[in-house]
Amino acid sequence: MKFSVILDALPYLLGAAVTTVWVSLLGVLLGQVIGVLVCVARQSGNRAADIAGGVYVSFFRGVPLLIQLLLIYYMLPLIGIDVPPLVAAVGALSLASGAYVSEIYRGSLNAVPHGQSEAALALGFPTATIWTRILLPQAFRISVPALVNELILLLKASSLISVVGVAELTRTSQTISASNYRPLEIYLAAGCIYLAINGALALFGTLLERRLQEG
Amino acid sequence: MTAVSEAAAPPAAAGDAVPMVSIRGVGKSFGTNEVLRDIDLTVNKSEVVCLIGPSGSGKSTLLRCVNFLEVYDRGDIRIEGKLVGYTEGTPRRRQSNRELRTLRRNVGMVFQQFNLWPHMTALGNVAEALVQVRGMDKAAAAARARQMLDRVGLAAKADAYPARLSGGQQQRVAIARVIAMEPHLMLFDEPTSALDPELVGEVLQVMRDLAADGMTMVVVTHEMGFAANVADKVAFLDHGRIAAFGTPREVFHESAEPRVRQFLQTYHERNSF
Amino acid sequence: MDSSLIVQYGPALLRGFGVTILCWAAGCAIGLVLGFALMLLRQLPIRPLQALIRAYIEIIRGTPFLIQLFLLYSGGPSIGLRLEATTAGILGLGLYGSAYFAEIFRAGYQSVPKGQVEAALSLGMSYGAILRRVIVPGMLVSTLPAIVNMMAILTKETVVLSIITVPELMYEMQTMAAETFATFETILGMALFYWLLVEVVSRLGRRLEARVTRFLSHSSNARA
Repeated sequence: MKFSVILDALPYLLGAAVTTVWVSLLGVLLGQVIGVLVCVARQSGNRAADIAGGVYVSFFRGVPLLIQLLLIYYMLPLIGIDVPPLVAAVGALSLASGAYVSEIYRGSLNAVPHGQSEAALALGFPTATIWTRILLPQAFRISVPALVNELILLLKASSLISVVGVAELTRTSQTISASNYRPLEIYLAAGCIYLAINGALALFGTLLERRLQEG
Repeated sequence: MTAVSEAAAPPAAAGDAVPMVSIRGVGKSFGTNEVLRDIDLTVNKSEVVCLIGPSGSGKSTLLRCVNFLEVYDRGDIRIEGKLVGYTEGTPRRRQSNRELRTLRRNVGMVFQQFNLWPHMTALGNVAEALVQVRGMDKAAAAARARQMLDRVGLAAKADAYPARLSGGQQQRVAIARVIAMEPHLMLFDEPTSALDPELVGEVLQVMRDLAADGMTMVVVTHEMGFAANVADKVAFLDHGRIAAFGTPREVFHESAEPRVRQFLQTYHERNSF
Repeated sequence: MDSSLIVQYGPALLRGFGVTILCWAAGCAIGLVLGFALMLLRQLPIRPLQALIRAYIEIIRGTPFLIQLFLLYSGGPSIGLRLEATTAGILGLGLYGSAYFAEIFRAGYQSVPKGQVEAALSLGMSYGAILRRVIVPGMLVSTLPAIVNMMAILTKETVVLSIITVPELMYEMQTMAAETFATFETILGMALFYWLLVEVVSRLGRRLEARVTRFLSHSSNARA
């Protein structure tokens, strides 16, 4: 083990870690949007929307992320969309995340007592208002721990986008260790960086949860 | 220790025999909170002793110390002359798990929440310890388990899982599980407190039958009727001490101890309508 | 897609699928056994051991599976650990699973009501017998859904092994895709295949669950 190797590589690894973080954040944010839309569509009472949403969730939860990623990566050029690998990567992460997030929201919505929407209906609230004012805010609050957990999962999953050549933390580690023949040190360093980011996220999640419980 | 003949008819209280349970100067603390202080209590063979008192008085803790499910800090508890939980001599050391197991084999315990194993049938629950502890073969254990279920009136429920039994039936299975092991002593920790009122009677009846057969029993209970009619001795605990001790008559009717009077008063008020 | 491709690549794909199943089964087995052992060791009242196990679990759960594989397969030789790709893959999958299984088992261990253990203790049963006859069956019931779920996740993780050149199904498929230039069709076929596989694993798991929990079918009448 030579720690000087790690010191030399550290600036590059940290730079790549920034890419990992923002790709994952973007994936989770877009995943949120997709997840909420899918969840609302499935609860809307429209049968076609429910089935389409169900197939989407089942597919993106059932198919390994690596395959989803390659599928999107190779599909986009076929339908005439030429985008950099990074966009395909973020798209794949968002779609996968959306499937999980919609299930998280579904669980949280079930935890909101049915009587609350009945009370709102009885008061004459329009359906959209019931969603935006009563159901979703509560579902969000219940979902916070699961959503932070989702971000951690996505951060780890983002290592897979290295296969389409996005220079995030894992890809950069591969490149460096291929040139300096020090895979043990480099991957250990990369592992520590992942661990540190996830540890910070977990801590943030705990604090956020506490805040929401108080408020 | 003198040998006690198993076959001898149980004398009400043989003065010269080693007592079944002898508790001397027992104390226990959780941190700074003293839950048991200087407890002395003797239970002779074939006696039924009821421990009563307000909740938090330490009666369940005391009972659980007798088979060392709860560790006591000070004093001695002896069962048939043998020290419970510690080795003889000073400084005393904890007994090994093996020694504890040997001791517990002769002491049955019935719990408030029955604590049947949900993944075994009624028969399986009763037969389990016969196989695991007594080393009986499965067929013999099953046959004996069936007899025991019959004794508590549940022969028909042998193949039912606990989830399909009423609370009263579950508690009777739990009792069958204990008596199958032929314990010398049985401990009951509020055996009817978790039961719906209409199911209490069937469990108390089984306990009365056991007492009539000469079983030595220590019973923590809120059933004052049972204590008054079945117990040989009643101990009233309050704040970790035995505040009154004697025959049911002495404790319930003749005790001048104000805490006993107050407890019984509250009890009567709660049960009158 | 040309049907002659099936003839040409069929054997390789079948072999690849065999390797996938082998890696999955062996990985699950290692993960379950090691996870259970870790859970048991964690019950011992030895502080440093508990801390060590906790650190192990947090490290495995806090880093990407791919990084763990790289460490084992590429980093291993630096400390004299030279593993074939498939061996590294199986070991990696097992270590990865063990951390998650250990946590699942721990939750299961804690979910067995204390009274059930006390009842066994008061009858004089040994810790070994209590573990075998009371705790493990009780745990099985409460942890089975999580175990099945984790096994389905491990099914999906096997494709990651292709990155370190384990000749499993994904790897063979990518070889085929590269040679035939039918990349998209091949990957779509893979997607559908794995979708089915994970669904089958989950369904079998649910059926098993229903069998194991049969005895819980009627609720107790006892107040509790």
